[in-house]
Amino acid sequence: MIDSGKQPEIKRVEITVNGKTVQARTDKPLIHACLQAESEVPHYCYHPGLSPVGSCRICQVEVQQGKMPARVMVACRTPVAAGMVVDTESKGAHDSRKECLEFLLKNHPLDCPICDKAGECTLQDYSFAEGQGEGRSVEPRRKLEKRKDLGDVIMLDQERCILCSRCVRFMEEVPETPQLCVAGRGSHSIIETWNNQPLSGNYQGNLADVCPVGALTLKSFRFKARVWNLTKTASSCGECSRGCSTTVEVLRAGEIVRIRPRHDEEVNKWWMCDTGRFALDHFSEVDRLVGACMPSATRGWDQFPVEDGLQVAADMLMAAEKPLIVASPWLTVEEGTELLTLGRQLNGRVAFVSPAQNELADDLLHTGDPAPNRRGLTDLGFEALSPEEILSAASEHSSILCIGERVASLLGEDGFNSLPSATRVLLFDCALPAAQEVGNSPIDLAIGLATSAERAGHWVNIDGIRRPILQARPAPTGVWNTVRLLQNLLGLLATREIQS
Amino acid sequence: MVVVQRRELTFWERMYLPEIVRGLVITFKKMFEPRVTRQYPEQAMPTTAVTRGQPRLTVKDDGNIACVSCGLCEAACPAYAITIDGKETDRFIEREPERFDIDMLRCILCGFCEEACPKEAIFMSNELELANTTREGLVYDMEQLKRSTSTLQPRIDYVRKINDRW
Repeated sequence: MIDSGKQPEIKRVEITVNGKTVQARTDKPLIHACLQAESEVPHYCYHPGLSPVGSCRICQVEVQQGKMPARVMVACRTPVAAGMVVDTESKGAHDSRKECLEFLLKNHPLDCPICDKAGECTLQDYSFAEGQGEGRSVEPRRKLEKRKDLGDVIMLDQERCILCSRCVRFMEEVPETPQLCVAGRGSHSIIETWNNQPLSGNYQGNLADVCPVGALTLKSFRFKARVWNLTKTASSCGECSRGCSTTVEVLRAGEIVRIRPRHDEEVNKWWMCDTGRFALDHFSEVDRLVGACMPSATRGWDQFPVEDGLQVAADMLMAAEKPLIVASPWLTVEEGTELLTLGRQLNGRVAFVSPAQNELADDLLHTGDPAPNRRGLTDLGFEALSPEEILSAASEHSSILCIGERVASLLGEDGFNSLPSATRVLLFDCALPAAQEVGNSPIDLAIGLATSAERAGHWVNIDGIRRPILQARPAPTGVWNTVRLLQNLLGLLATREIQS
Repeated sequence: MVVVQRRELTFWERMYLPEIVRGLVITFKKMFEPRVTRQYPEQAMPTTAVTRGQPRLTVKDDGNIACVSCGLCEAACPAYAITIDGKETDRFIEREPERFDIDMLRCILCGFCEEACPKEAIFMSNELELANTTREGLVYDMEQLKRSTSTLQPRIDYVRKINDRW
């Protein structure tokens, strides 16, 4: 478990980086202080979340200490000492970095136009900034396997690999399931899995993030989009109550093609699990519930706009004695507040569906609790009821309002369909549950909602940390923001109360 | 009010006939000079390798498209005329376009795409005509844009020549 609680005391010493005085942490290598001083030091093998090894040698800086003459050394393997004077832009540092870069590019293929990493590759950036246009090597480049399948998630291109060993260290240090190794010696070194086994575990997707070049790429993202065409929005993952900070990447204001972890020291550091990373199906635009619909005896599902749907909903809720309001744990704190107001106005019972623990829980990030805003809704005063409790309570109420993303699927397909016919069922969800036919469907009114990629708000994670979700792409036409929907419904109810 | 004073016509001018004869002399003279009017579209303008017509995609001699859908032309296009989606292939070159659309109504024939292309896959052809009855018909897809290398050869040679100067 990533502990966000007590931190050990951090010792700091004063050093100078490019003329700037920095309070450098002694438990971190020199490169950490350089980056802290906003000096650009290229680095491939160094990752702030992994132990430094100094294998790529690109992070060379000139350090002067005491009476010693200035020397060029690798910043990721040099401990910080008081009084160091660091120059990242000196001629000596530049020259050695340039030579080092030439060696790194000796065997690196020139397939940037094909490579998925192009555009977010630091090797590409630094070659562009400082590399030379032509190679001086007369020997041919190494020919290695370009499409090595490493299981369901990752594809390895051994030619592009610069042997920084970030992936090897990630597997050893973060999920603590060592599976990758550097096999062979010298110029015959390659990245391989033990015994050519496919990779396993729930944290494989992070390998594509830690890889500084395009050697390890996600199969699901392979050749799907160029990274500069993606619109990136900060958000939070909704697959468990950890609520990892993420970046949602949308191609041309439409399809979500990739979700990546965003550095958040308190929640998920640099990582996220594959369950959250590949939960793209939940944001699909196919089979969405748009506008409002009601079953009609003659015409099947009767479609109409949300404005009219809210009028019908207000009439139904006014007629109800003490409605049961069932929220989805995907509702944000803001939406929960509005829903509580609605519950008070209707004198109803307000609860959220509390799904059972799943088997995905691990020691690192996944909590196994699929309710992202459990803490937030509980803190607001929502009652936590399991799907079974809700289904048995439904018969005691004349009306039931199910609201929020995935609320119908949380109640279970059979469970939802078995809601008593005497109870009036209002479903506000992103999609209709499967196989809803007029006649045997319990739904009396359904209104479409926006998914968590299409609205903004806050979730509170299991540790009580409040994190935002932001709108990554526009909701389909005819789908309202949930807060706007609830506020309009409240307004309609108030008008009806005055009229009666 | 402004009163415009017109010039009084001379006697010969008022006679009318000498002026008609003068005009006809010019007409008959021109009849025996070489004609400059071109009967377009039957007689098209001759083009050279320097002509910067509409962009076209090269198909290599093995029948595969040269484009690897790297997206550089899309990024370079100042008019946002190009849209590319990539897909995986079984060939040695792992990537090829699944969709390559150029909106010819947006295209300004600037040639930036040709300049940006690292794979010699897009060239400004000598095709200049553009007509259709719908806007959708002028968004050219990959099949409409494909041209064989031999068709584009003069332009390819010209571009290689000017690129050598840098």
